[in-house]
Amino acid sequence: MRTEFINPFLQAATEVLGSELGSVPQRGTIGLQRSAYTSDEVTAVVAVTGGVAGMVIFAMAEQTARAVVSKMLGQDFPTFDALAQSGIAEIGNVITGRAAVLLSEAGYPSDLAPPMLVLGRDTMISTLDVQRLVIPLETEFGKIEIQVALKLAAAPARRAA
Amino acid sequence: MAKVMVVDDAAFMRLRACKVLQDNGHEVVQAENGADAVRQYSEHRPDAVLLDITMPEMDGIAALKEIKKLDPGARVAMVTAMGQQAIVMEALRAGAKDFVLKPFQPDRVLGALQKLLA
Repeated sequence: MRTEFINPFLQAATEVLGSELGSVPQRGTIGLQRSAYTSDEVTAVVAVTGGVAGMVIFAMAEQTARAVVSKMLGQDFPTFDALAQSGIAEIGNVITGRAAVLLSEAGYPSDLAPPMLVLGRDTMISTLDVQRLVIPLETEFGKIEIQVALKLAAAPARRAA
Repeated sequence: MAKVMVVDDAAFMRLRACKVLQDNGHEVVQAENGADAVRQYSEHRPDAVLLDITMPEMDGIAALKEIKKLDPGARVAMVTAMGQQAIVMEALRAGAKDFVLKPFQPDRVLGALQKLLA
């Protein structure tokens, strides 16, 4: 995992969550993991292809997910229904999309696949030999953990200095 | 009050835009992809369109071009993730009048609509 992949995701998540939730999330300690990811109650997964390839995972408790979409839409979500699921998937999509733009500006162009959701705890998702960068963010609605498992897919078209 | 078509493959984002528009007295038509947008534009002839770019079946740029064939005077604003400048420029060349960045703010949606209807 290249360290230059950290800032685009940190910046994108801070901007998007700050805008959507009305307060900037607090960043926890960033770490690296190699073992398989074990899902939280709600996990949005966005696949990335292109100059960098892999997946980005957004994990949170269902209570946090419902609170986030409630804040975004201005209505309560007593259950994590299809509409709420669409909202969490879109958050993952927008954050990853913003990060992809920043990665592209750094010379790593990439595209996104449509987001998917894993519902329920303890599903194991292996990123095989790709290490996962773990970015914990504390929001006023609870913790959202972003896991970035990307590797360089081809020689990047780096910009001239 | 205007009739506005909101086009987005994400149901949550459609509803969010609809709420902002309906709360401000506008009538809303929803479409869930570009092909659906072209069909519904033909049927409803909305006063303005908020058109997402990245969608399955037919993306926003292709839908914009089809809508412009149906109605060269169509008033369309693109909805896009932050920083997709190249795509936004292509949309503006294809006849879009404005763009709204995701995550969008209600004031920005209403401002774009005002610009479209001016």
